[in-house]
Parts: sequence; structure tokens; C-alpha cells
Amino acid sequence: MMTPERLQAEKDVLKRKLPCYDYRFLDMETSKPYIVLPAKTNRGNIYTIRIELDEFPNEIPKAFVTKMLKTKLGKEMNDCSASMHTLTSEHGYTRICHYGYSSWTPMVSLYKIYVKCRLWLEMYELHLQTGHNMDYYLNHQE
Amino acid sequence: MEELPIIYIDKEELKEFCSQDLSEKEGISYEWEKEQVVHIKLNPSLHSFGRIGKVAFQRGDFPFPYGQSVPWIKDEFSYIVYVLDENTARVFEVVEGRLIEKKLYYIPSKDDLYSRSKGILEVNILESKRVMIVGLGSFGSQIAIELAKAGVGSFSLFDFDRIELHNLARHTCTIKDLGRLKTDAIYDAIVGKNPYAHVDKFPIDINKNIPLLNEEISKADIVICATDNNKSRFNISEELVKQQKLGIFGRAVTRAEGGDIFRYVPGGPCYCCLIGTEWYDTSAEEITNIGSGRRNGQIPAYVSDEDADAVVQVGLSSDIEPICNLMVKLTLMELSRGEDSGISCLEDELVYDYYMWANRRERRHVNWAPLPNAGNRPTILRWYGAYIKKVEDCPLCSHHIVLDEGEEYEAKLGEMTDMKDVD
Repeated sequence: MMTPERLQAEKDVLKRKLPCYDYRFLDMETSKPYIVLPAKTNRGNIYTIRIELDEFPNEIPKAFVTKMLKTKLGKEMNDCSASMHTLTSEHGYTRICHYGYSSWTPMVSLYKIYVKCRLWLEMYELHLQTGHNMDYYLNHQE
Repeated sequence: MEELPIIYIDKEELKEFCSQDLSEKEGISYEWEKEQVVHIKLNPSLHSFGRIGKVAFQRGDFPFPYGQSVPWIKDEFSYIVYVLDENTARVFEVVEGRLIEKKLYYIPSKDDLYSRSKGILEVNILESKRVMIVGLGSFGSQIAIELAKAGVGSFSLFDFDRIELHNLARHTCTIKDLGRLKTDAIYDAIVGKNPYAHVDKFPIDINKNIPLLNEEISKADIVICATDNNKSRFNISEELVKQQKLGIFGRAVTRAEGGDIFRYVPGGPCYCCLIGTEWYDTSAEEITNIGSGRRNGQIPAYVSDEDADAVVQVGLSSDIEPICNLMVKLTLMELSRGEDSGISCLEDELVYDYYMWANRRERRHVNWAPLPNAGNRPTILRWYGAYIKKVEDCPLCSHHIVLDEGEEYEAKLGEMTDMKDVD
């Protein structure tokens, strides 16, 4: 769980980096806090990113797109896939694989995770356009 | 020629019997079958062994002439113990209604148990110290027992796992312990070495009970982190910094080709400061089994069991022994710091934050020099120490938090506008 100082530092970064965005920290007084952030892709599509904060920053937080996305072939993106950089879905949401074990440190900001999720969405839309797996565009994290 | 059977009795239990206003009490004998070794107990052992018999404890000296048949002795008793005082007893084996006196050996009382260590370690100081050990695998189990042998008096043990077959090759526990909680098995091992040790057991995942973790850290004089994942190391490190407590972190790298140790001293660099230095390679973490690899995220969920099996590469017990050994020495040195003991001189030697050891010239150590004629070049089977720089804006140990904002990914995102038409 984040300390008050860490939470303030995260808010400071988000305020500076996403000044016009309506992001929200939710359920912060519970054991399952999370943040939701809007994400607009270069193609103009709008998604919501949900990042769960219960074990952040000492553990890689779970990150979701708040709906069940489908591949170009119409398959739901609800399971672990190395080629599509996804993990097993929860809440009915597609879960993004955004960080690997050995790359993670508590220094990583929520903003950085958000940027990586934005990149994932761009690649997802490229996949929808070209049919290439997302692996084609994204390197795997260690 | 040694007189058989060899019979042991615990002086603390003689004291206990004398302190109670009883003239007799029933006890128990535990016999190692076919070995003619008997341990007589006033109180039942938590985990008994061997053949069990009944013992009658009596106050006072043996009232009958030697070898005389004693009509009131019931056959159900194997031994009669006459307790003269809290330091002296006589033991008689019951053979067909007759009492045959046997030689008695004493398990020393608390004050005498570690008298042999006096002069090397300040046993009285260690007895008052509390060590918290998180993770009772091949590292934590060995360290716990070594510290108990040295006379550390109080432990808090954390591990939610049970002893499994794959543990046995490197763990202190034996095949008899299969299925047991590691906390229970190591509790037995500690009190087997020091029956007067105070041991609190917590068979839980510390990552899921941070308040308890913090409470136990507050009670400990030093914390040993012998877990196999960074999440627990970060959680422990964060609280060590907050509470300004000493901590020792240790691990093996892949196939135990080597290992390293980090010592946190209040005010110094924390575990998070170590990450990202040239010394520490997070990806080199040893994965000892698929279950823990998956649980910790070291093996991604999309990797099949077959592929995962290839990354599980465990080294030998003898490979991790030197790492455990230095962790024990660092712990004993810190617990005795400032006291005049036989290991005080180590305070001038073990001054580094980080220690590195290689068992073999493989992988990350492949370019190290062969042991013969290595000169000043790094080589195997030697300890190397390093000072770690405290990161000024470390999110765990500094007051000025600077976060990783991912500029490199921001730049990639900026480039994405050019990729709209990729086909």
C-alpha cells in the first residue's frame, strides 16, 4: 500500500504530465484501491485504464483496459498470451502485461505504467489494422 | 566399555519437579529402538520418537537395598527416578519387578547449555536477542539452526510453505518432515538445539499481512530476509527503513553458481538503492521450483510448464552453504556489536553493504579468473565486498521521492503518430 508521501508524489507527476485528464483514485480507504485514467489513442479511440494499487509500489500492479477487447479475428482477449502481451482477465476486463519481474522497482511511477498501457493500446489498434500479433511490435519485458 | 542403556534426563525438569510440592509424578521414557538410548521426560515431548514407556518420578532417595524386589512396583513402569534435589537424581530400570540402578546423564540446565561458547560469543547477550527470519527454505532453515546453536534466545519465523520433496536436497529438514509446515519443522530444529529458545511461528505470507510484518519487525533486533522474491524484499526493506532496524538479505543466483548478501544498516543505503547498481542483477535470481516461480512472477503466466521446467535450475546445498555462513556471521556480529567478544574483530572486516560470492565460473562469472594465479582479478570461492551508494531520491529510503516517469516510453509514444499508416 502506498504511503501518503508516495501518493502525493504520484499525484504531483500526474498533475504535471496529464494536466487536462480526468483520472481518479478510487476506494483509497479500502484494501482494494485503484486508479482509473482515460486513454485516447492516436486514432481517436477512447479507453479507460484501471491500475490496481493494493500492493503498489512494492509489487507490479495489475493493469486493465476496462472492457473485454477482441482480436482482429474476434477472439476475446481474456487469457495469458505471450504474443498479445496479456494476462488472465479479471472483472471481465482485458489485463495488460506491462512489466516483467526483474524489471520492476518501486521507483516506477503510475504515470510510466499508464504510458506503457497507452503504447500497448496503440499496438493493439495496429494489430486490428494489420493482423500482426502485438509481439511483432512490442519487446518482451524481462 | 560404555554402560548401556544410555539414559538422559533434563535438569530443567528436575528443577520443575522439585519446585512442585509433589511426592511423585508419572513421566515418560522415549527409547531409540535397538540403540539402547533412552530420554526420560517429566512432560511429554511435542513430537515424540521411538518406543514410549512409563516412568515414576519419586521425591527422595531410593529407600530399599540395592537389587531388592520392590513389591509395589508395577510392571507398567519402565524406569523409576528418585529425585534427590534439583541437580541430582538416581534412575532405576524395572526388570521383572526388581530395580536395577543405571548411570544417568544430564541435559544441562539453561545456564550451562552454551557455556562452551563463552569466550567466543557473548552468549548472555545473544540469549536476550530476537531474530526475525522471513523465508525458511534452504537459506532460512540453515541460518535459523546456526543462530540457535550460537545461543540466540528468541526467534520469529515466517513461511507459509510446507516441506515438499523438491526441498529435501538442500533443506535442513528430512523426509520425516514431508508435508509439515516449515515453521513447525524449524521450530523443532531450533528447540532441538536450544530447548530454552523462545520461538514464535507465523505460517503466513508476509506480503498479505503487512501490519503483522511491521509489528514483528518492531520486536526484532535484526531481520533476516531469506525469501525468493523482490516483493517481500521491498516490503521488508521499506519497514526496516521506517523503523531503523538492521536487516540481512541473501539469495543464490541461477543454479547457485554464486550468490550475494546485502546488509541494511539504519541510515545507509536500502535494498531499493541496491537495485539498478552494477552489482545486482535481478534477472539472475535462482528459481527453485515452478510453483514459486509462477507465484512470484519470475515465470510469466503464459509460459507452459514444460518451458518453465527449463528455467528451474537449482544448485547444490554446498553451493549455498557459504552464503548462509556469511549471513550468520554478519548477524552474530551485529547482535554482538560493541560487546567484547571473540568476533568483535570482524567489525573491522565486515564493513561492506554488499557481498558477492561465486561458486563456479559460469554465466555471469564466466569471465572471472581461474582460482590458480588469479592475483587481483576476481575469482571463485572468495568473498568480495562493495559499498553501495545511497540513492538520494530513493522512493523507499529518502525524504525526497523522485519517481521513474518513463521518458523513454513517452518518446516512443510520441513517435507513434508516424505509425498510423503502418501496414
